[in-house]
Amino acid sequence: MSEKKQQVSRRQFLNYTLTGVGGFMAAGLLVSPLRMAIDPVLQKSTHGDLANVSLAVGDITTEPTRVDWKIDQVDGWYESQVSKSAWVFKDENDEIQAFSPVCKHLGCVVSWEGSEDFPNEFYCPCHDGRYYKDGTNVPGTPPLAPLDVFEREVRDGMLFLGEAKPKGEA
Amino acid sequence: MKWKKEDIKQYVQAKEYIDTIVIPLIPFHLSQDNELEKGTFQSEVLSLFSNEIEKELTGRVMLLPTYHYLKSVNKEPEADRLNKWVEDVQKQPFTHIFFITFDSSWKKNEQALNGTLLWLPGVSSGDLHSKEMHGVIRNQVEQIVELIRSYW
Ligand code: FES
Repeated sequence: MSEKKQQVSRRQFLNYTLTGVGGFMAAGLLVSPLRMAIDPVLQKSTHGDLANVSLAVGDITTEPTRVDWKIDQVDGWYESQVSKSAWVFKDENDEIQAFSPVCKHLGCVVSWEGSEDFPNEFYCPCHDGRYYKDGTNVPGTPPLAPLDVFEREVRDGMLFLGEAKPKGEA
Repeated sequence: MKWKKEDIKQYVQAKEYIDTIVIPLIPFHLSQDNELEKGTFQSEVLSLFSNEIEKELTGRVMLLPTYHYLKSVNKEPEADRLNKWVEDVQKQPFTHIFFITFDSSWKKNEQALNGTLLWLPGVSSGDLHSKEMHGVIRNQVEQIVELIRSYW
């Protein structure tokens, strides 16, 4: 009997505390913009290092090839492995190019020669977006900007890639 | 696109470009000890799949929240409920509805569903994080993407 009574009061107690927590959370929401600004854990992602994408520079040809790799990313609440991809090739000046496969229209994944109708171009399957080999968007197709370009570096004959940035900034 | 605030904001701006819905169908039951591992594994694999498909085609495909149901139950009422989802979805300009699942029992109820069923033979065990599994999944994702594109 007394045990039962205790249980009920415990439940009530928890209920009260939860109401209290609710109020606390509401208060938390009010201050959160400030928190975002000062709390490093809540910042968008960790920036910085270039990653080894396991591709030897000697193996890069003039034909764009898809490279996939993984990086650790802290994004708000989660720390996770994120997969990244790039289209990598050597241009006519023998310089290494690495383009982001994310279409600048609405974000689908583009492929090199993804459509038989458009050889020698990157092609987006979603709304027929197209890009020339140098990443420039083909006028008259939905994308309004060139493909993003990865920060790149060669160390000991291996290709390292960093972040993708709008063309002209990387 | 996903059922997320950021994505939906983009959706509202670009509705005319997003015409395809994908709904994962994942069974759930906790009652059969010997099927728990397989059940959870398949659930993880299908979620991974759906996410990868969404990633490839994010500008045209909206991935809805997963539809969970009790594994043992009759599929007819479930199909009715799903069709209610579809009815609601079609208040927006979507023209292609895909259901994606490993559960073969939907195959028998395919006709009742208001959309296209993509049934994939399930992987019943393995290590989700192994290199081989990645290869298998990448490959299957490519094929499903190809299939979805053939409806456009
Ligand atoms: S998302 Fe690439 S053309 Fe629309």
